[in-house]
Amino acid sequence: MLTKELLSYILDIGEQMLVSGAEVNRVEDSISRICKAYDAKRVDVFTITSSIVVSIQLKSGNTLTQTRRILKYSTDFDKLDRLNNLSYYICAHTPEAEYIRNEMEKVGTTRIYGPVVQYLVYGMIAGSFTIFYGGDLNDVAVSAAIGMILKLAITFIQRVDKNVFFVNILCSFVVGMLGFLLVRIGIGHSFDKIAIGNIMLLIPGLALTNSIRDIISGDTIAGLLRLSEAILVALSISFGFGLVSVFVGGMLK
Amino acid sequence: MIHTYQIITAFMGSLGFSILFNIKGRKIGYAAFGGMLAWVIYLLGGLWLSGEMMQYFISSIIVTFYSEICARIEKTPATTFLTAAIIPLVPGRALYYTMSYAINGRFGDFAEYGSHTVSIAVAIAAGIMVASSLSRVFFAVRSYEFRHHSM
Repeated sequence: MLTKELLSYILDIGEQMLVSGAEVNRVEDSISRICKAYDAKRVDVFTITSSIVVSIQLKSGNTLTQTRRILKYSTDFDKLDRLNNLSYYICAHTPEAEYIRNEMEKVGTTRIYGPVVQYLVYGMIAGSFTIFYGGDLNDVAVSAAIGMILKLAITFIQRVDKNVFFVNILCSFVVGMLGFLLVRIGIGHSFDKIAIGNIMLLIPGLALTNSIRDIISGDTIAGLLRLSEAILVALSISFGFGLVSVFVGGMLK
Repeated sequence: MIHTYQIITAFMGSLGFSILFNIKGRKIGYAAFGGMLAWVIYLLGGLWLSGEMMQYFISSIIVTFYSEICARIEKTPATTFLTAAIIPLVPGRALYYTMSYAINGRFGDFAEYGSHTVSIAVAIAAGIMVASSLSRVFFAVRSYEFRHHSM
């Protein structure tokens, strides 16, 4: 039997899926399948990148509507995998609300890789792409170091303000300034290779792939929203670098 | 030689992103291999395709199919693999030069590189679109057959 409490847990599942990086279609599909499994007469789900609205008609004739506003995204495919399995389980077994609450608590405490690993990975990615685009060993060392500092910068800047554009402008500014200084001192050789390695860390790859997948599944609005967000992020990265060139007096090669 | 380095670093780049996206266990291997596959196909494509856009297009088609297949094996959303594997194809360099020409006021080069960046992005998007649509049809047909056999 669908109660307000149960619907709220179902929305929690949908919300967390969207936040962890699911496509809109998957979120809508999961929510409506679960509601149908609990014998809803009719389910209407509408999801865009920043909001979920669910309205269900019960067999008794009553209607339940709840919405969620999504403000923050944090990609976590392990969480998404667990939520996906949980939603299949719920469809097959229609457990009590209590069970879903406990499971959601478990999902909420999934482990992510520790900070040391995260810093090393930032360095590794930046270094890898510097080699990928033809940098030499000095460039790789500089790029990997800047990658780790970038992670530090992201952590700090996000404490001040979580706005994606703000974070990206400041981060690319940090990358640009450090890269410029280290090349000027003579440790790094080519500024462009170092910058590109670090830009790969900032580029909104997930937003781009998901926006295309949303558009194919017919969720054009959500897809276009994500696409415009990806373009704006790319623009704010360039603004950050533009800011650097103002400081150092033009000519970033 | 640069190609060998590129293939290795494409693997490492995708591996890194798999960790940042919190992919766990065996799936990391699939995702990182996908990134390497993307670049290998891109390079191989260069041998007989004319035009960089076709290379990006074909490569993203194959990587999308690869992700859809991995998703079925591992019973997890295809986005997991696709997002990490597509990374080496993302036009970071083109984007950088576009931006750098804009900053330096070289608008001729800016227009050239800008359209280059956009066309790569479009080629990748088109590749993902084509492959996703095809695999939808393919897996729909298969599950339809499956249902009819099991009945």
